[in-house]
Amino acid sequence: MTKLLLPIVLLPLIGFLINGLVGNFIGKRLVSVVACGLPIAAFLFAIKATADLMATGAPLTQTVFTWAQFADRPFEIALYFDRLTAVMVLIVTGVGSLIHVYSTGYMHEDKSYARYFSYLNLFLFFMLMLVLGRSLLVLFVGWEGVGLASYLLIGFWFEDPVKAAAGKKAFITNRVGDAGFLLGMFLLYRTLGTLQMDQINAAFLAGPVAVSASLVGVLLFIGATGKSAQIPLHVWLPDAMAGPTPVSALIHAATMVTAGVYLVARLHGIFLHAPEASALVATIGVATAFFAATIALVQTDIKKVLAYSTISQLGFMFLAAGVGAYGVAVFHLYTHAFFKACLFLGAGSVIHAMSGEQDIRKMGGLAKKIPITFVTFAIATAAIAGLPPLAGFFSKDEILWFAFASGHGGAPWLFAVAAATALMTAFYMFRLLWLTFFGTPRMDHETAHHIHESPWSMTGVLIVLAVLSTVGGLFSIPHFLEPMLPLPEVRPELHHLETPLLVLSVAIGLAGLALAAWFYSRDGARAEAARTHVEPLHRLLSGKYYIDELYEGFIGRPIQWVSDRVFLRLGDRLVIDGTLDGMAAFARRTAGGLSRVQTGNLHFYALLVLAGLVVVLLWSWGHV
Amino acid sequence: MNTLLANFETLLLVVFALCALLGAALMLVLREPMRVALALISTMVFLGGVYGLLGVHFIAAFQVLIYVGAVMVFIVYVIMLLDPRDSAARRRYSALLVPGVIGCGLFIVALGALVWDSSSEAHRGAAGAGFTLAQFSAAFVNEYWLEFELTSVLLLAAIVAAIAVIQVSRRSHG
Amino acid sequence: MDKVQLLIGVAVALFAIGLTGVVIRRNVLVMLMCMELMLNGVNLSLVTFAHVTGTAVGAVLVFLVFVVATAEIAIAIPIVLLLVRSKRTLDLDAYADLKG
Repeated sequence: MTKLLLPIVLLPLIGFLINGLVGNFIGKRLVSVVACGLPIAAFLFAIKATADLMATGAPLTQTVFTWAQFADRPFEIALYFDRLTAVMVLIVTGVGSLIHVYSTGYMHEDKSYARYFSYLNLFLFFMLMLVLGRSLLVLFVGWEGVGLASYLLIGFWFEDPVKAAAGKKAFITNRVGDAGFLLGMFLLYRTLGTLQMDQINAAFLAGPVAVSASLVGVLLFIGATGKSAQIPLHVWLPDAMAGPTPVSALIHAATMVTAGVYLVARLHGIFLHAPEASALVATIGVATAFFAATIALVQTDIKKVLAYSTISQLGFMFLAAGVGAYGVAVFHLYTHAFFKACLFLGAGSVIHAMSGEQDIRKMGGLAKKIPITFVTFAIATAAIAGLPPLAGFFSKDEILWFAFASGHGGAPWLFAVAAATALMTAFYMFRLLWLTFFGTPRMDHETAHHIHESPWSMTGVLIVLAVLSTVGGLFSIPHFLEPMLPLPEVRPELHHLETPLLVLSVAIGLAGLALAAWFYSRDGARAEAARTHVEPLHRLLSGKYYIDELYEGFIGRPIQWVSDRVFLRLGDRLVIDGTLDGMAAFARRTAGGLSRVQTGNLHFYALLVLAGLVVVLLWSWGHV
Repeated sequence: MNTLLANFETLLLVVFALCALLGAALMLVLREPMRVALALISTMVFLGGVYGLLGVHFIAAFQVLIYVGAVMVFIVYVIMLLDPRDSAARRRYSALLVPGVIGCGLFIVALGALVWDSSSEAHRGAAGAGFTLAQFSAAFVNEYWLEFELTSVLLLAAIVAAIAVIQVSRRSHG
Repeated sequence: MDKVQLLIGVAVALFAIGLTGVVIRRNVLVMLMCMELMLNGVNLSLVTFAHVTGTAVGAVLVFLVFVVATAEIAIAIPIVLLLVRSKRTLDLDAYADLKG
């Protein structure tokens, strides 16, 4: 029982409370110190906890308190720290702290400075609760909490109704996934009697369990699709770019969206014994990767390209998890955190330099004007394209290899689609690089005049992340995680194909670079020419396959119709109001009818007395 | 029937009772209110006679004194006061004549059927000894003093009400 | 039939005729007099029972009925007077102000 874990979770919460309650009164400098200092302190605690873990070799646990007790089954709020947790916590606190520092520069002119940092710290609190939680209960609290923080941060500039709507869309789409998650949790609790994830894994690994592992796996994966923006619940992530760019970097690239991958990796015990669920995970992963990459080919907003790229890379992670290579999925999560954060923050720097312009058709020729941003962006682009020896190469190559050769569901078609996606990834990322930084400047004179390099709070972070993108891949996470997440067996007949496939993936990366250079040099003249040949396809991709319109038409509008026709007009007005009004009208009518006895005529009253007496007498004739 | 007509007293009782009934029936038929009042007075006097023949002479005295002497005189005064105001061609009966007569018949049949048998000699039980005025007064004061007091309260209320009516009447008519 | 049965029958008849008079006569003063007739019918039955049982209860009740009837008439007549003064007619059908 260690005491190190609770501070990791609580320090950002304290930051949230301070900045949230008194942030507007203590000045920007103090807000920045609190907001950045506390996550850095959490990072230091995490390093100490990792050192303790490596020294003892056994996972660290800390039980905070017992929330509820039913007979002999307690619901405890407990924290758990093993190797997987170590990787996740270090990424969250490390990259998180860097992004906090970057935000001090990016959000400097914003009027809601303190609110921004309080929300950011709140997010860190919930994310750390998510990864440190021992039971699915604590994880779920963190899960919901990061959804809340995401909503608050996406809709940060809520006066703009479009941005507020984006926040709502994110939250609601997540909720749909959470329904599946909850069902999975209920099933697990009912059959196993516990929600603690280490006990669940042990139960599934020990032997067959009363509940179908595939059913639980599918339900939990539905939750993961919501949080990690996989098909069919991916629609919120591109809209989430309405939030500030550091938020996109932290939440929608490095940490929150990876929670789904973390969930699958953590509960590998279930998925190892659920071949149908694993096949579903792999299929959806690779389909999402391919699908999002095709859309990214034609996007013109710098952040939207990166958003679709994130969805695509998350697909890669799920592909790896689906074929049993959980360690590799986490490896890609780790490298992706570095280069995607670097890319998003670099985009933020570009937007900052361009005075708010985000359309890449209006950029160009920035390489010489903002050199640090350019160099870091280029390094991160090469990393995501998978060029050796940068970080992305190692993780992506492993994913492609296991997609092809894993004995746990690997297949040539998975590899083929993934390879095609890797080619497209390299292509659209270099396209982005070319259109943004090379060629003749296409912006208007006013903006061109204001182009300037970002302050050191921003460029410093970019440099750190670029360095990490370069050397991060040299630390082999799968090897580090192997004691708890063993790599799947490779089919023996395919062993000899390992090196050829490695060469192939490098070739794919370089091919993508070459194609992009060919199409987009000279300000994309050849690309424009090519576009006219494939106009309908271009329109389909630009419209994001019209998925949003599909959802609106097939889900949104019918629900609205039912709400209006059935629930409002029929249920509320006709039935409920009608019943109440009807009862009142009935009472009034009855009273009106009965009041006709009061004619005011005394003769009539006397006759009624006489008649009543007669009746009573006749009745008592028989009964007395 | 023979026992009824056997001696003179019971014969007189029968005559008085039937005359009272006749007076009552006349009340329903006569047109002028004054004549109706006279019919009622005759009924009351005959009833007084019945009471006397039954042995309760003081009750008979009070019947004539109070009922005829006070109540009916008051009513006659009011009839004399009010009557000429109404038009000569006023109708006698209300709209509920037929239901009223039917109801009356039903009522007599029902109540009569209930009490006829039980009041016959066989079912009645033995007659008790009579009572004198002294016994009556003693009973009044010993056992029914509460009712006595309550009626005095009632009379007080009546006096207050009468005064109130005078006030109202003065105010509305100056 | 002996005298008690006869008197009981007469009392029933007097009460019924009184009640019917209230229902069928239009003049308000005649209605009042019919109510007096009802009271007399009740008195007759009370006296008859006093004669039958030989106790003084019936007579006491008759006495109380006298008092109450007198008080009642003392108030009813002035009320009728005021009513007639405002409605200007003795017809009971005109007094239907409490209708509905």
